[in-house]
Amino acid sequence: MKKIYIVAIIMIVAAIGLLTSVAADTSTYGDFSQAIATQKKVKVVGTLAKDRPMEYNPEIDPNHFTFFLTDMNGETHKVVLKAAKPKDFELSEQIVVTGSMKGDEFVASHILMKCPSKYKDEEVQIKEKSAS
Amino acid sequence: MEQIQYIGEHLWPGRIGHFCIVLGFVAAILSAVAYAMGTRNDAAGKGWLRMGRTAFIVHGISILTVMGTILWAMINQYFEYQYVWQHVSEDLPMKYIFSAFWEGQEGSFMLWMFWHIILGFVLIWRAGKWEAPVIAVIAAVEVFINSMILGIYITPDMKIGSNPLLLLRDTMDIPLFYNADYLQLIQGNGLNPLLQNYWMTIHPPTLFLGFASTVVPFAYAIAGLWTKQYKEWLRPAMPWALFSGGILGLGILMGGAWAYEALSFGGYWAWDPVENMSLVPWLLLVAGIHSHLIAKNTGQALRATYLFYLFTFIMILYSTFLTRSGILGDSSVHAFTEMGLESQLILFIAAFLGLSLVLYFLRRKQIPVPEKEEPITAREFWMFIGSLILLFSSVIITVSTSLPVYNKIVQLFNPEYLGLTINDPIEHYNKYQLWIGVFIGLLTGIAQYLRYKEPNWPGRRSLFLKKMGISAVAAIAMSIATSFWIQLGAWQYWLLMFAGWFAVVANSMYIIDFLRKNLKAAGSALAHIGFGLMIVGIIASGLNKQHISSNPVVQRQLLDEELIQKNVLLFKGMPMFMSGYRVTYERDTMVGNLRKFTVRYQKLDDQGNVTEEFTVEPTATYDNKAIEVKAFNPSTKRYLDKDIFTHIATLPMKEANFQFAREADDSLDFQTYYLSQNESTLILDTVETKTGELKTLRTEARIVEVDNKPTHPDYKPEEGDYAIGVKVAFEKEDTTFFAEPVLVLRGELLYTYPVQLNDLSFKVRLTDEVLEKLIVNENDLDYRKFTVRQGDSFEFNGMQFQFNGFDQAAKHSGYQPQEGDIAINAKIDVVAEGKNYQARPLYLIRDNSVVNLKDEIPELGLHIRVPRIDPKTETVDIWVAQKEAALSGLPVQIAKKSFRTDYIVLEAIIFPGINLFWLGSTLMMVGLFLAMFHRLRQY
Repeated sequence: MKKIYIVAIIMIVAAIGLLTSVAADTSTYGDFSQAIATQKKVKVVGTLAKDRPMEYNPEIDPNHFTFFLTDMNGETHKVVLKAAKPKDFELSEQIVVTGSMKGDEFVASHILMKCPSKYKDEEVQIKEKSAS
Repeated sequence: MEQIQYIGEHLWPGRIGHFCIVLGFVAAILSAVAYAMGTRNDAAGKGWLRMGRTAFIVHGISILTVMGTILWAMINQYFEYQYVWQHVSEDLPMKYIFSAFWEGQEGSFMLWMFWHIILGFVLIWRAGKWEAPVIAVIAAVEVFINSMILGIYITPDMKIGSNPLLLLRDTMDIPLFYNADYLQLIQGNGLNPLLQNYWMTIHPPTLFLGFASTVVPFAYAIAGLWTKQYKEWLRPAMPWALFSGGILGLGILMGGAWAYEALSFGGYWAWDPVENMSLVPWLLLVAGIHSHLIAKNTGQALRATYLFYLFTFIMILYSTFLTRSGILGDSSVHAFTEMGLESQLILFIAAFLGLSLVLYFLRRKQIPVPEKEEPITAREFWMFIGSLILLFSSVIITVSTSLPVYNKIVQLFNPEYLGLTINDPIEHYNKYQLWIGVFIGLLTGIAQYLRYKEPNWPGRRSLFLKKMGISAVAAIAMSIATSFWIQLGAWQYWLLMFAGWFAVVANSMYIIDFLRKNLKAAGSALAHIGFGLMIVGIIASGLNKQHISSNPVVQRQLLDEELIQKNVLLFKGMPMFMSGYRVTYERDTMVGNLRKFTVRYQKLDDQGNVTEEFTVEPTATYDNKAIEVKAFNPSTKRYLDKDIFTHIATLPMKEANFQFAREADDSLDFQTYYLSQNESTLILDTVETKTGELKTLRTEARIVEVDNKPTHPDYKPEEGDYAIGVKVAFEKEDTTFFAEPVLVLRGELLYTYPVQLNDLSFKVRLTDEVLEKLIVNENDLDYRKFTVRQGDSFEFNGMQFQFNGFDQAAKHSGYQPQEGDIAINAKIDVVAEGKNYQARPLYLIRDNSVVNLKDEIPELGLHIRVPRIDPKTETVDIWVAQKEAALSGLPVQIAKKSFRTDYIVLEAIIFPGINLFWLGSTLMMVGLFLAMFHRLRQY
């Protein structure tokens, strides 16, 4: 057998090995009950609980932002994000936070928001006639 | 419905455009078919070839015309076209017109086609006997891309492509279009402000040229299989492959530079799906270039070369699918919005994947393979392993990046499925790609000193081992030296650093040893030096990037170890210490929709002396109407050995959104306090402390003075204004703060200019209520009459008055001249406590009746009238009264909890050695281009 094939086979084996280990770096999008049960790092998908308070006081700590998130099962928990409040946060339709439960709070290290397109195509802007 | 005759529409660009889109599509089909027939080596073939060529030129001219009409419509702002309306606005500077053109999917498809056409024209000129099969393939690709902008409906719900020349009124059904002159009423959406910079002008065309150019090696590979000239294409395709590698690499790099320089991603590479899927074709292309060289020099690796080039293009199509189908959704910052072209894009991939695989497996057995196996001491053996490693790398990246596709497929069968996602993409990809870097770094050094086919290894061995030994020792020395500058930590990074320096040393030595007289052939060595430097630069800037924007005093209490605190809060004008720097947010200025923040850095030594000083200007880009922040752009201080990267993480909501600021101000809870000069009024404010306890703050307020010539940063005085300012002193814990809100009466309108007191979180303003207090009621005045002649003086309450005749100017803030008026001012000068004052009361005869308008000297509380002038006796009556406005019980409105907004939240990162990354990666591309020119000369 050609030597190059041996090399190739080694690589294929390595690739399969690595690719199966990809699973270890991934997680399913989960919910709060999972986060509470496992106490591990999970991604929780949910929506902003708009009737609960959002707190961001950069004067006290610019890296501390809290809000309430309702996951897909309707469970709501306080989320602490150790970062600045993201831009357009209130507009988000869906929020994905990565982190783990610490007591009653979900401490998030990463946040991803799904926002409606900033330029709504269906909205025709009417010219503003200036008064003067 | 009655047909409306619309006013002011320009329909001809649309008609020309529509026609040319269809013509281009038909011509591309014809060209592909005719060129395919033209591959025959007979007389008929010649005719077909000419027809294919003509059809391709017609296709090219058609697409150029479509682009021209759209650009024309954009330049002239024909908002009746949906595409123009969506991407252009009235205030869009002309320099961004191209950016607006390729901002949308349709425009970028056309940009892609544009480059195929240009490449096609060059091939018609230069490709010789390869013209027919190669351009047949390109024309077939063009058929598919052109179909993306066709916009033909097969059934009402199913369309092919999206036409960029649709009229706005055909794309939506809203009442606006019942107006025949709707064009007068609409304005364009305009280019996303994020994209309004020069990178958007140069990055997409370069990247799309890179994308488009991969079709040439692909087409040559197909042509080789198709015409059974299995090896002949290797020579003419070589410069094309090198060109493609160089330009695609340059396009990707530009993307990184854009991200780093103008966007606040905080780096040049983030393993974003879209970035990954532009890197993968490049990796495959580079693998292909290496096996191509092997095949050309030794005849080995020919089959692999086919596969590499075929899959380079297939991956370009896959990448197109991922970015344009909307499947990446929110996992990428670059993705286009959904357009309903998914099935068309899948068909596009399927067609060329099918063509490639069928042709390859049909011909596989016929592709010549040398009898003799390559010796392990030959260059081709190790070069090929290098190619395999690049393939390995691209497979790993593709699989991870395709998770959203996998999720989508599973969800087709199981809608409940939530989907998998990579927790930490950067760590995930780096972990694997690190090893790719190690192997490639070492191989570039090793393979360079080996020879193709190695005829005499025993004779070569000692030289090879000597050079490798020198390189290894030098690389170890360099790695140790580097470790004094940047921290390496784990052994894997030591290994990667060693591999990087090994590539640099071995390839530099190779240039010195063999190529001194022939630097033109140094392309490969140069590219490999570049690779090594890039690796060193990546370790330095990536592994050692350091957030300097952290304030250890405030922020170390609540910390979770894995969460790094990245931002600091800077109040305007208040210096803050961070990591050896004194940082001050000095000022901000707004021009158009760009707001610039000037931040001064001062480096301090141990004694606290300033050793170095500079300013950076991170910006915030507002939307086109300058209401809301759309993006923050960084500003970077560059050194040879590092960059200090600064950007604004966030602004106070009121500064980031002026609409919100207005609403927030409206919702402030203003309460009226009646303040006096002689006694203080207590203001209580209950606040929550950092620890969550409630605390009552006591502030005492009193009036300092009433100011008749007040100043306020927002108030610009005009003639005829009646302005008052009330200066209020607030005393809190032995500190006194002053605020002077201003109220202005201008004509019929009342303007109030509030003052924000940041230290107290108070906002103070005046309302018209204060006027009633300050304007003295006429009935309360006790006038004394003086009858005087011109020049006479008199005394009143210890003040000296002199009547100095009349002034014809007839000016008075309460007087508006009418025809027939007889009006004069009396000139009265007053001296009180050594100071001079003037009063100019007005005497007016209108319609046979006498009116007099009083003048005031507010400082003295004097009210002066001239109610009678007697021409016979040449005397006048002057009435004088004195009553100072009460400085007690003045109503002042105060809102508590009006928090300060004069701060920014700043993120600052040091990237050491980032210039090595730019130098190395640029050298790689330079090496590829150098190699291309070298090959062109041979060709």
